[in-house]
Amino acid sequence: MESASTNLEPLFAFLARSLSTLEFAFNKLPGSAVIQRYVKSSHQNDPGRTLLELILVIFAIRTLLQSRTRADRTGKNFIQFSEKEVDELVDEWTPEPLGQPLSAVEQAELAAVPIIAGPNGPKPKLVNTGKTATNLASFNFTGLAGNEHIKQRAVETLRKYGLGSCGPPGFYGTLDVHIDLERDIADFLGTEATILYSQGFSTISSVIPAFCKRGDIIVADRGVNFAIHKGIQISRSTVRWFDHNDLKSLEDVLEGVEKERRKRRGPLTRRFIITEGIFEKDGAMVDLPKLIEIKYKHKYRLILDESFSFGTVGRTGRGLTELYNVPAEKVDLLVGSTATGLCAGGGFCAGSQTVVDHQRINGPSFVFSASMPALLSVSASEGINMLRSTPSILSTLQENVRAARAILDRVDCITIPSHPASPIIHMYIRSPSASSLHPSSAAPSKPSNPTSPVPRDAATWDWDIETEERLLQEVVEEALAQGVIITKAKRLRGQEAVEPRPSIRLAMTSALSRKDTEKAINVVKSALVKVLSKRR
Amino acid sequence: MPNSSPSPSPMAINVVAPAPSMFKKRSSQSAAPMASAASYLSALSQADARARNTRAPTATPALSLSSSVTSSSEDTVLHDSDFDNSDGLSLPARPPTSEQVFTTVHTEFGHCANEEYRLVSQHTAGEPLPAHVEQDPPYYILLSTYISYLILIVIGHIRDFLGKRFSPKFYTHLVPRNGYAPLNSDFDSFYTRRLKTRMDECFSQPVTGVAGRTILLLDRISPDYNHTQILTGTRTRALNISSYNYLGFAQARGGCADAVEESIRRYGVSTCGNRLEGGSSDLHTVTEALVAEFVGMEDALISSMGFATNSAYIPALVGKGCLVISDELNHASIRFGTRLSGANVRMFKHNDMRSLENLLREVISQGQPKTHRPWKKILLIVEGLYSMEGTLVNLPVILELKKKYKFYLFVDEAHSIGALGPHGRGVADYFGVNPRSIDILMGTFTKSFGAAGGYIAGNKALIDRLRIRGHLGPYAEAMTPPVLTQVLASMASIMGIATPSPADSTALVPASHPAPASPSSLPPWLTLPPLLSSGTEGRSRLRRLAFNSRYLHHGLAKLGFITYGHPASPIVPLLLFNPGKMNMFHRMMKDRQTPIIVVVVAYPATPLVTSRVRFCVSAAHTKEDVDCVLRACDEVGDVLDLKHGIPKRERWDIERIVSSAVELATS
Repeated sequence: MESASTNLEPLFAFLARSLSTLEFAFNKLPGSAVIQRYVKSSHQNDPGRTLLELILVIFAIRTLLQSRTRADRTGKNFIQFSEKEVDELVDEWTPEPLGQPLSAVEQAELAAVPIIAGPNGPKPKLVNTGKTATNLASFNFTGLAGNEHIKQRAVETLRKYGLGSCGPPGFYGTLDVHIDLERDIADFLGTEATILYSQGFSTISSVIPAFCKRGDIIVADRGVNFAIHKGIQISRSTVRWFDHNDLKSLEDVLEGVEKERRKRRGPLTRRFIITEGIFEKDGAMVDLPKLIEIKYKHKYRLILDESFSFGTVGRTGRGLTELYNVPAEKVDLLVGSTATGLCAGGGFCAGSQTVVDHQRINGPSFVFSASMPALLSVSASEGINMLRSTPSILSTLQENVRAARAILDRVDCITIPSHPASPIIHMYIRSPSASSLHPSSAAPSKPSNPTSPVPRDAATWDWDIETEERLLQEVVEEALAQGVIITKAKRLRGQEAVEPRPSIRLAMTSALSRKDTEKAINVVKSALVKVLSKRR
Repeated sequence: MPNSSPSPSPMAINVVAPAPSMFKKRSSQSAAPMASAASYLSALSQADARARNTRAPTATPALSLSSSVTSSSEDTVLHDSDFDNSDGLSLPARPPTSEQVFTTVHTEFGHCANEEYRLVSQHTAGEPLPAHVEQDPPYYILLSTYISYLILIVIGHIRDFLGKRFSPKFYTHLVPRNGYAPLNSDFDSFYTRRLKTRMDECFSQPVTGVAGRTILLLDRISPDYNHTQILTGTRTRALNISSYNYLGFAQARGGCADAVEESIRRYGVSTCGNRLEGGSSDLHTVTEALVAEFVGMEDALISSMGFATNSAYIPALVGKGCLVISDELNHASIRFGTRLSGANVRMFKHNDMRSLENLLREVISQGQPKTHRPWKKILLIVEGLYSMEGTLVNLPVILELKKKYKFYLFVDEAHSIGALGPHGRGVADYFGVNPRSIDILMGTFTKSFGAAGGYIAGNKALIDRLRIRGHLGPYAEAMTPPVLTQVLASMASIMGIATPSPADSTALVPASHPAPASPSSLPPWLTLPPLLSSGTEGRSRLRRLAFNSRYLHHGLAKLGFITYGHPASPIVPLLLFNPGKMNMFHRMMKDRQTPIIVVVVAYPATPLVTSRVRFCVSAAHTKEDVDCVLRACDEVGDVLDLKHGIPKRERWDIERIVSSAVELATS
């Protein structure tokens, strides 16, 4: 006992010494007297309060130190199990299979996918049949596939740059040919700047979340393509939908949004209109001048997906802005595809310098993906040069579109929702009931619900997807037997926001002469008539 | 592993006497007797031509042969008007002897004949995987890092505050104007404007030419503190330890490039359209079959973009009522895909198997939140090799957990495929496990194969489902023929092509998974030079990469740096911590006599304090190149006070490291 206290003596001395140093240091701090007085007086008035405050401080420190990623074990819904029970539950659990095997219909669909043997072009050879056929399925609008000059330039590029860029644009993946193509597209369209993405599909679904954040407002067309839907989904913005290609409905929705904002007195947030130039889903074309007028009136920014109109409409293929003679600068974000329009690869977003620079840091699939192979970039640049120097490419394409429409418009077992100038032509089976009515005029007059992507007339849709898909597939096979490759528009049934109506989609090309086009379209026509008349 | 010495030349090459120099400067750096550039290159091109001639009997189309011979004589290096080897990058340290034939261009793929500098990338069975240790620097480094950020943030805010009042014209795009909200608010873009802009010279450097062993930088200057960058028009060749060119297949010359040229002439540049609607070609079918063979799965599906492979196929695998368990450091594309899928997400601590098991026990016992219904399926998504840390996934333990907890396993092999394993088949090969015990293998072609795009592999039923239910099938452009051919050619040269003669087929074609490709798996027009088709060069590339990775990793550690990751990983992060040092490190490496370009990464790609430089080793680097990087790091590390990994007395001198490279690498 005695020895213990003597042993502890230096410790006590040390404690006392350090306590006095601490007190001295504390007293030297500015404002320490105030704190001291506060603690003293509060302790005198209410000793319990000191304890409470101490607990509060400890609790605050504990909260700060707690890991934020730790599982919420204390939540209301958490059930405490013993280890044994957990083991039993683990043994009991049986997961569903990762992927269901394909059904017979799906297998048949997969087997019917056309596979081209050798180079693709206007008349490729098919692996499926082993025969040559006229191609109205592939996106070769400009007919640049297999162009010898582009091939030569691609080989030259390969010999200078190799193939892959082996890095994202931020880390030594930006090649001079990428900068050249960006400038070429910007010059071609007449915008300030352009940014390249390495895949067309991923472009728009990356552009949207780069700008639209939580709380921002997106007003989108109900008929926009799948990639836009995905971009909107990931942006987590507030979305309002307007009727497909109906600018009157757009104005109504915009007014509704403004009313809502005034009522709520919310802050000014970014507002975007998202639509397509030529719609992938049905080939309809937006009235750009009117759209621009609306966007300026309501002070919205416009994101226009020109994946199917860039390289296909306008005198030299500059797209909708050229067709309507609207300066491309007026479209805030103009998204296009160099894969479909120019037969190369990748996509782009054109706009002001600010818009482009922003994406260089915030566009997920720009930042986190390797840049495009150099030879694809050069091929796209060459494609633009050809479009510039050869206006006949576009005039042939448009002539073929007109020739095709002249035949197809007179086929009465189908309806065509596509614009007369659209190089993609969708064909629906004409519904027997509403055969005489134009689809939009049949719609009920009650305004649609802007919060839902489902069109207001969806309840009146009377087509049976499965039957139509089957019939259309028969048409496709019939046409193929006659030497014309066409395709159903393939959809991701069950994953789309709105189930699009089954359709056959023709892709016109300037690589075919008018005569060949007419011949092929006549084959399609007879296949349609043969299969669809059998139905009745 | 068979010995992979370069096959002796059929004809010895006589190095011609030095021709009158056509270059402005002579090489002055190398100590070894050096042939002049011209003679060296002519010898090289002769060797190249001869090597090509040997394959003439094997039914090479005349077109391909003639074009490749003519093109091989005009070498990329000779095109440089200002050829200059003062940086020591264009010519190897010692010229080849008469026995050595190098079929590659040294600036693209370094010449290295020393068989000592080879290793096999393989995990020793039973040995536990070293845990991911985040070594802490001394406290003053941490403190100064925090203070640096604090100063940067405070100054940034002061500048914003004053700037908005005194020069509002620079802020017009950040404030509401004419009834438009700003495209990006000043708060959201604060980090970009005030911190990243300061070191913009480290990012988005434009380059030209092949991203091989060296790369040509397009020099640029910024007159206005990085707001604009102006290209000066001059170019600098630099040692490239930044590109994801693990196996050195980024080449403009050689068998793969010849094959790609042939494919462009045959197929053109594009297949025009998506896979389901007229954009599929027979090349896709062939390539998918070869990819499946390579990774050892039943079937594979390829897509034209690596990012999209994750972001578009994960939603086709899981949906509502499913759970995705994701490593906290998974790549952005995985997060993107998971978010789109609508599945619930839970994260576990990076590569921490205990954290994973605890999480698994919790989620399976608790079921779905609120309803407590059992999960439909649980998908664990991990990466084979993490791109910022260099850590390897602990695959053996995960597979054990998988047996017990019945989750599905998705391994993203974006960086590991081709780069790891004795046969280059990724992490499964490295750990010697059967790839089919993994449900889904995903990877990219951008890295080891020098191409672009990605693949996803699994059993046939699943892949067929993804073909028609994945987002990319009906909506995204198909992979283009040149890219497909690069994948085919590089993959076949890693695998080697089995000789069809029946006599020795039993010896050459083992039934087990990492087998050579069967000759029928390539299109008939695609012929590779013998060195590639025999797999000799592929094996040598794998072994060079393994050596270089381990050598650089151990070398940096012995110099005293803090590094992360597994020694077998070709990604070697070196920790810098202070944000100011990133810029300096980058600049000091680039401004050396032999310029070296590096990738520096900081927040938000890494946690705030652990800014780092990331080296990506390649098989294209020679041992001398790694020496060069080590020497540079040694000097720069002293100046920047970066050596905090081991105490001073345990550090090795740079000369000792360079001379005992083999010992270091095998340690």
